[in-house]
This record gives sequence, structure tokens and C-alpha cells, in this order.
Amino acid sequence: MVNTNIILAGVGGQGLVMTTKIIAEAAYLSGLDVKTNDVVGLSQRGGKVWGSVRLGEKVFSPNVRPGEVDILLGFEALEGRRFRKELKKDSSVAIVNKYQMVPTLVQQGKEEYATDIEEELNKYAGKLIYEDFTQKAVELGNKAAANIVLLGACSVYVKDIPEEKWVESIVKSVPPKFVELNKEAFALGRKLAK
Amino acid sequence: MSKKEILSGNQSIARGFYEAGGGVATAYPGSPTVEVIETMKEYHEDIYSEFSMNEKVALEVGIGACYGGLRTMVTMKHVGVNICMDPLMSFTQSPVDAGFMLVTGDDPGMASSQNEQDNRILGKFANMPIFDPSDSQDAKDFVIKGLELSEEYKTPVMLRITSRICHARSTVELGEREEHMGPKFEPDPSKYCMLPPHTFKHQYTMKERIEKLQERANDLEINKLEEKGSDVLVITSGICYYNFKEVCPDVDVFKLGMVYPLPIDKIKKLSEKYSKIIVIEEMMPFIENELKLHGIDCVGKEFFSFTGELHSEVIEEGLVKLGVIKERQLKDTSKDDTTARGPLFCAGCPHRPVFDILKKAKVNVIGDIGCYTMGLLYPWEVLNANISMGSSLGIIKGMRLAMDKQGDDQKPIVGVIGDGTFFHSGLPGFANLKYQLTGEENITMIVLDNATTAMTGGQPTGESYHMDNMGQDMSVEDIIRTMGYDDIQRVDQFNYKEAKKAIVDATKRKGVSVIITTRPCALRYKIKETPFEVDPSICIGCKTCIKTNCPPLRMKKYEGFDKEKSSIDPNQCVGCGICAQVCPVGAIKRKKESK
Ligand code: SF4
Ligand code: SF4
Repeated sequence: MVNTNIILAGVGGQGLVMTTKIIAEAAYLSGLDVKTNDVVGLSQRGGKVWGSVRLGEKVFSPNVRPGEVDILLGFEALEGRRFRKELKKDSSVAIVNKYQMVPTLVQQGKEEYATDIEEELNKYAGKLIYEDFTQKAVELGNKAAANIVLLGACSVYVKDIPEEKWVESIVKSVPPKFVELNKEAFALGRKLAK
Repeated sequence: MSKKEILSGNQSIARGFYEAGGGVATAYPGSPTVEVIETMKEYHEDIYSEFSMNEKVALEVGIGACYGGLRTMVTMKHVGVNICMDPLMSFTQSPVDAGFMLVTGDDPGMASSQNEQDNRILGKFANMPIFDPSDSQDAKDFVIKGLELSEEYKTPVMLRITSRICHARSTVELGEREEHMGPKFEPDPSKYCMLPPHTFKHQYTMKERIEKLQERANDLEINKLEEKGSDVLVITSGICYYNFKEVCPDVDVFKLGMVYPLPIDKIKKLSEKYSKIIVIEEMMPFIENELKLHGIDCVGKEFFSFTGELHSEVIEEGLVKLGVIKERQLKDTSKDDTTARGPLFCAGCPHRPVFDILKKAKVNVIGDIGCYTMGLLYPWEVLNANISMGSSLGIIKGMRLAMDKQGDDQKPIVGVIGDGTFFHSGLPGFANLKYQLTGEENITMIVLDNATTAMTGGQPTGESYHMDNMGQDMSVEDIIRTMGYDDIQRVDQFNYKEAKKAIVDATKRKGVSVIITTRPCALRYKIKETPFEVDPSICIGCKTCIKTNCPPLRMKKYEGFDKEKSSIDPNQCVGCGICAQVCPVGAIKRKKESK
């Protein structure tokens, strides 16, 4: 069995670390070996944040080698674009949030926010799911659940983890009063991905 | 079936300490090790843990606990060890009865640090054995093993961990806690009082215990030889081990769990069997140099980068040069052209108005270490010097003296320091500043009191307690006043105009003026009020608000207007009102419909 390599990319404060944890837990509950990696630190203050999850029978390094990403989860549009070249050609899936958070250079009028995101992602990804996941979460009642909507979409493409293990992992990881919201968010994500 | 969990390296260290019957854990928060003590709080029934005011105090508390017979752990980031180096160098002379472990988080590649120092050098300098885990399971196991060896050889030990391992998660087998209590403290100056003549014999003690450990390293089970039948041998440790296995699973490898002292005899014997010994390690050629010192022929740094992390692709490159791998398999994902995204002050951050004022005032600003260090980044770029924790006070004094001699005695100079840093090492700086000046020099110090050490995720400082309604509060203002400063003002920086006047006026006064800003950290205290919004029909598009760099602000096109106008993303705005206060035409108002 070959490893499944997932990259998560977004902006500090979007719940990336939590999402990485949920994926790892779901993999573990499914009897797989799993290693994850979060790049945090300075970047927590609205900077770029990214992490990786690798799962399979036996995983050595938590880092995904360049060009070997199976699934890219972009929590923010520009951050999704940033990692496009890391995707495995043809067989990969990019699930990217259309929602925009402007970096300082764009805010201050020094650079433009990329307008070719969808096109660029299509160039590198075997399949692209490009939606405003934040808006979907706001409609469900909490913008903070956007990461779980994304996760739901992701779950469809991780063949080695059965649906119930994902749900079990979410229940274990989120505070009790948000369990229902997050279950809904997850189900919505799955629907969007199919 | 044994119980397993997915843990980060940091969590595993805490877990290991718990299982090893640890008693006291102290720290100063610093990336990448913050989470160790945060996790320790889960075991609060069994382990006393604290974030001390700085690393030196943390170590001293630890020394006391260890001398008193409790297994002890002290954690900090790599540069933190510099702060506690003074007591450390004397402490490691003492023969300890209860296990003592110093955890240092090194940061190859400087993901969140001001330098890339390799603390294995400091460990050796202090005569400590050093353990270097490769994943979370190792991290837990090495804590337990390290504490055992600490007691067996009566030596404090170091666990050197890197950012990557601290934050990586993998499965860890959990064990039960085994209570552990060392001997009660028995006064014995020859053991605990580090002064001559007692210290003379400890030079021998230290030498002997390292020699014994070097002997022991030869059959230490955490130093593992994996034989695959190749004619070269790779010696490595830490994350490099797994990154190497990724690209080269079929070459013989000696994975070191303890990187100092090394199993010299064993490696000597092995070197006869192999055509070449290759050392793969991040940062300095530490293992390589140790081997060469013992006359063992090996190669290393000439093939692998001297700085940054050694990812699989970097290791592959070196192994190709060495001829161990025939050709490169890994793609070169060339540099990306996507707009960079650097860190910035959070929405509603209380530092923002202060930096806006300082930028507009065009004064010389000396920075310090904390969130406000981001004041050196675009679009602020107001910090002109930034070195280490608490250093702003010393630097500002020296620079003032130089400026005055250069004829710039009318030019204002401002220093900034947070409350965490104030308690960490700003206090002696304040004392020195007061004591050594004539009182004529113009200096303004701004204490950015946001009631937490914000950069590392919001750990307490001496000033946090009034926000949390707990413990015993200390007031920065009272302390400075007691030192003899009298030009002290407390300022609400969310009252932009008044804050601006107070700061600008202070920079014009002779003597040391101190401004204490009082708004708490927006992130740590989860500040969220009704958001503000822009009325595009009033906005003139001057971008004054945009210049405050608050994340929700951006210029955008509105229907019916040709010119771009300001806008606020309600999902991100926390309603601090600073943008509204700097707007010259009153186009920004608090939203009505909500609340
Ligand atoms: S009110 Fe203005 S400055 Fe304050 S958080 Fe909202 S957008 Fe930022
Ligand atoms: S400061 Fe006021 S007028 Fe200027 S761009 Fe901002 S909202 Fe518009």
C-alpha cells in the first residue's frame, strides 16, 4: 500500500492544526500508520500556515516530498494556489476555499490578489473542488466550521478511512457543544465533493 | 492491547515525564517547546508545573526541586538556554540524586527564532549527555531513559529536540505512571555548594561520568544499528533519520538516540567494515567533529547544508553527490510566484495604534522580543534594532549616549517592551537605565502591557492576574515607580487621539518618560465586539485606515462608484474602532443591525 499524502495550507487562526489532528486520529482509528507535521510559530499571526499528513501502512517522515501531494486542502484561496506545484500530476485532488484573506502586500496596494487561482489549480490538480467553504459554514451557523466542511470534502478522497471513523474522530476532537454543527458541516462537505 | 495515542513531540515529552514519575516541571514559554508545559497541566495532580518569569529562574526552581529529591524537567527554546547558562554551568558539576532533564527546542531553519544556534554545543560545554529523538515515540522513550541514566550516572541530562519533532504527530504507546521519589535533601556542601575547594573534585566527577557514559553508549539500546548489507554506513539522529529513510531505505544506518557522548568504540569497529562513514545532521557538524576528534574518518557537512532543515530532497542531493544514490528522483518544485504572506498584528491588536502613532511620529524606535517585534515588518518598519529578550533598555541607553555625542541630542528615541519581556529581563535594564543617567537625556520607554506573553500563545506574566482574576497581581507601574521613575503615564491606546498626544509629548521631554499602554491582547482574551463597516458614499478612498494594516481592511470596488473604496470583512473584524478613529471623514461606523 502506498502512502496518502495530504497538505493543508491556510492562514493562522483558520483551524489548520485542529484539522490535521482530526485526520490523524481518523487514520489511526482505521488502523493506519500516520505522521503529521504543522508549521507554526511566527506565522500564527495571520501569516501562512501549513501542515502535512501522511498515512498508510508504514510512514517514515512526516514531510511530504515535493511533487507527491495526493490531496491539497486550501483553507484560503491564495494559500491553495501557493502549493499547487506540489501536487501529483493527474491523480491528485485540490479542495480549495474560494474565501479570500488579503496578505499585507495586497492590502497595501503593492501587489494584486491573484485572479488566476482556479485556472492555475486546474493546471496542476487531477480534480479541483473550488467553493466558498467559509460562506457555506456561515450559512450553517458558524464560520469557524469551514475547516470541517473542507474536511468532509477531503474524506471522500481518502479511500482507506471509512466514513464512520471520520465522524468518530470529529466527535473526539471538538468541544461537545459543537459536535452537531460539525457533523452537519462534515456531511455538507461530503456532499459538495461528490 | 496496549493503549496508543497520536501525540505531538511536545505532548510526548510531557507524557514521558508523567510516566517517569516526574515531580516538578518549569519553563519559560518559547517556540517550539511551549506545548510541553501546557500539556503538563493535564497532569496537575501529579506534577507541579509553572511558566517562570525567565529561563534562569525556571532552571533555579528546577535545581531546588532536583536537590530536594524530585525528578525534574526544565524546558525552553534554544536561546533560552543562554539565559540560564550561568546557573547551568555550575549546576552540572553537582552529582544529582534525582533525575534532571533540560529540554531545549532547537530551530533549524529559524521558523520562529532569531538565530539558529545548535545547543548540542552547549550541552557538551556543560558536560551533559544529550538525547536527540526522531519522532514522538522516541521523545517519550528518551525522557524516561534519560531520567534513568541521569540518576544512574548522577548527571543532569539534556533532551535536544527540533521544531519539526516538537510539532510533528505520530502514534505513541502509553504506559502507566510509576511514582518516583528520590532521597530527601541532606545538607552536603561538597555536593551542593559550588565553590572551591568542592569544585576541584567535580571537574574529575564530570569527566569520569562522561567517560562512563561513552562506554555505556556502545550497548545503549537507543543507539540502533540497522544492517541492510551496504558498503557505506550512515550515522544520523533526530528527524534526519526518517528523512533519510524516505529516500534511501536500503543503506545501513546507525541511528543515534544519545548524540553525546558517542559510542566511539563501536563506531571505530564499524568503520573498519565500511568503505565510508557518512554523517547526516542538521546545523553544525557536531557528530562529525566528535568522530574526527577520535580519529574516525567520515564525511558530512561538505555534502549537506550547514543551515536549515535537511529535508528528504536535501539529503537526496547530498547522497547523489556521494554516489550512494545514482540519480535524483525528487522533483524540483521551483520557487513559487504566489504573493508572499507574512505575519501581522491580529485584528483588534492593541499594538496596532501604538505602531501607527510611532510610524507617523518618525522617531527612532528600539524593539524587543514579542508580538511587537512584527513592528519591523512592512508596512510598519519602525523598529531599528532588535536583538534579544529585554535588550531594548540597554540598547536604548547606549544609543542615546552615542546620539548625544553625535550632536543628535534633540532627536527623540523610543523603546518598546511587552509585559512578558518586562518581567523576563526588562527589570534589570530598567534599574540600570535609572541609575546610570544624568536625567537630562531624552528617552521614552513604552511598556506594551497586553497582560500576556502573546507571541507564544498567551501564557501568563506578572500582569496577567488582574485579567484572569486569580493569583497575586503585580503592577508594572508600581514596580517602575518604586525604582524611582516619576514620569509615568497609563494610556488607553484605543482612545487614539489621547494616546497619540501622550506619546508624542513624551518623546519631546527630557529624562526617561515611561508610557504604559493598557489594552489586553485581542487573541488571548478573545475580544470580539460588533464589527465596523465602511459607508462607501462617505469614503474618499484616501487609504488612511488601510495603513493601519488591520487584516479585515481592503480596498474594493463598490457598485455605482468608479473609485475603489475601503471595506471591512465582518468575519474578521473584532470591533476595536481604530480604523474609524483614523478616518478623516468619518466613513467607518459600528454596524447597526447586530446587537
Ligand atoms: S474596527 Fe477596524 S481596526 Fe478594529 S478590528 Fe475592525 S477593521 Fe480592524
Ligand atoms: S480612511 Fe476613511 S476615507 Fe480614507 S479610505 Fe479609509 S474609510 Fe475611506
